[in-house]
Amino acid sequence: MQPQPGSRDAPGDKIKSLAELASMIPDGSSVALGGSFLHRGPFALVRELIRQGRRDLELIKQSPGYDIDILCRAGALRRTRAGIVAMEGNFGLARWYRKAVEEKEIELEEHACASLTAGLRAAAFGVPFQPCGGLHGSALPELNGWKWGEDPYGSGEKVCLIPPITPDFTVIHANAVSELGDVRVLGTFHWDRIMSRAARRVLVIAEKLLPIEEFRKQPELTLVPHFMVEAVSVVPGGAWPGSCWPLYEIDYPAVRAYVDERDRDLSRHLEAAVEREARADA
Amino acid sequence: MPETWSGFSYIVTNLARFIRPNEVTFSGVNSSMPMLACMLAKKSYDFYFTYINVAGGVDPKPTSVPLSSSDPVLAAGSTAIFANEDFYDLCTRGRMDLCFLGAAQIDGAGQTNVSAIGDWHNPKVRLPGGGGGAVMLPTARRSCTWRTEHSPRVLVDRLDFVTASGGMHGVVTPIAVFIKREGRLTLQSWHPEKSLDEVIARTGFAIDGTDASPTPGPTDEERAALQALDPDGEFERDADVSLG
Repeated sequence: MQPQPGSRDAPGDKIKSLAELASMIPDGSSVALGGSFLHRGPFALVRELIRQGRRDLELIKQSPGYDIDILCRAGALRRTRAGIVAMEGNFGLARWYRKAVEEKEIELEEHACASLTAGLRAAAFGVPFQPCGGLHGSALPELNGWKWGEDPYGSGEKVCLIPPITPDFTVIHANAVSELGDVRVLGTFHWDRIMSRAARRVLVIAEKLLPIEEFRKQPELTLVPHFMVEAVSVVPGGAWPGSCWPLYEIDYPAVRAYVDERDRDLSRHLEAAVEREARADA
Repeated sequence: MPETWSGFSYIVTNLARFIRPNEVTFSGVNSSMPMLACMLAKKSYDFYFTYINVAGGVDPKPTSVPLSSSDPVLAAGSTAIFANEDFYDLCTRGRMDLCFLGAAQIDGAGQTNVSAIGDWHNPKVRLPGGGGGAVMLPTARRSCTWRTEHSPRVLVDRLDFVTASGGMHGVVTPIAVFIKREGRLTLQSWHPEKSLDEVIARTGFAIDGTDASPTPGPTDEERAALQALDPDGEFERDADVSLG
C-alpha cells in the first residue's frame, strides 16, 4: 500500500470551501450535474461558478432546468447534452435556455434521457459504445450521427449504439458526506450514481458532515465511496431554490422571483441565495 | 365542480381511465395531469395497479399533492426507491405496461414532437426535448399522451420533427379521446357538450369518427377523488384548460 497523507487508515480530509470547490472547474469544462429539475441539484456550486465568471462550460444532464437556465442567463455556457429541459413545478419552459438555443448562443446535442444515460454507461463501463433500447423511428439518432448495429448473435434486432459521454466533472448535491468524501443521498438518487462512475473527477456539495463511523454503520446508504471523490464542500441549503428531501421543499416564491425578473442581471437573485452567508463567513 | 366536465377534469379523468388492473403504470416529469390521473385512479377505482413515478416512488403514500410532478414527496411512504435508470430499463425490456408521456405536437400515427417548432436547426420555439418519449414510446406496452389544447397546430398532419415514434395507445385533449387502431389515431369519444363535426374541424389529421360516441360523464367516485386532490382548484387554474 502506498503511503498516504493523513493517517494509516485514510487519506487526508477533502473538505473545501464552496469557492475553492468551484475554482477547481476551469473554463471550458464539461460538467455533469446531479439531481433532476428543481430537485437536489448542486445549485450553490452553479451560482458560485457564475460569481467566479466561468465561461464556455458544457452542461451534461438528463433533466436540467434552473441550473441550465441560470448558466445561459449568465452567459457561462457554450454547449449542452441534455434530455429534457424545463423549469417544471408550474413554471413552464426554461426561458433563458430557450433564448440561448434559438439565438444560437449555445450548441445543443439533444438526447433522450436514456440515450444520455447510455453514453454515461459506456464511459462508466469502459466500453466504446453502449446499446440503448428504443429510439426506433425517432429522428434523434440521425440528427446526432448515432449508428445502429445488428445483433451479432443473430436475432436480427437492430439497436442504437451511443458513444461514451465522459464528463470532466460530475457534481452532486448530497444529504451528507464524510470528511473523506463518502457520499450519502436520501430518497431517489436520480442519475447521480451513473454520473459519478462516468466522470473523470467527482465533486460533492453536502447538507452536512457526518462522522466516518456513521458511514461504517450503514455502508449500503453510501452512493459514492470516498476514493472516487476528489473534494467536498458543506453548504446547508445548497440545493436552494430547489428541494432536498427530506430537509426542504422547493422555494416557490424564490423560483417565481427568478423567473419573473425579466432582464439578464442576476445580482438580486445571487444576493438572495442561501450560500451568501456561508461565503461571508469564509 | 361542474355537473359534467371541465377541460381539466376531462383530461385527468380520461387519462385515469386508461389505467388497468394489476399493471405497472408510470408518470413522469412535467406531468401534473398524469400524476393526478394516477392518484385519482388509486383513490376511486376498485382495483390494484402498481404506480411508479419519476421521483422513484413505488406505490407511494404521498403526504401532499405536489405542483412539481417529480417532487420527492411522490416517493414518501414508498416501499422502494426505483430510480431513473431502473424505470427506463424496465421499459426497454418490455415490462412497462403504461407510460404517460408529454408531447407538443401529435400526428395521426401517434408520433410526437417535443423538440422544436419550426426547423430543428432554426427553431421558432425550442421545446423541452427528447426526454422519455424517444425511448419509452417504442418500448412501453402502451403509452398515452395529453394536450391542453385541441387545435390543428397541436394535432398535426405532419410533425415539425419526429422526436418519438411507436406504441402510442391513447391521446386525450379537453374535448376528445383518441385510441390508436391499425396504426392510426381513431376518435373514441368526444366531450358531450361538443359535436363530432367540431372535433373533426379542430383536428389537423384526418380522423374516422364512425365508431365514436360522447364520453360518459364522470362517476361520483372520479369526481370526489379529483375534488379531494385539487380542493382549492390550484392545479385546474395552473393547467388553464379551455374547451375552445
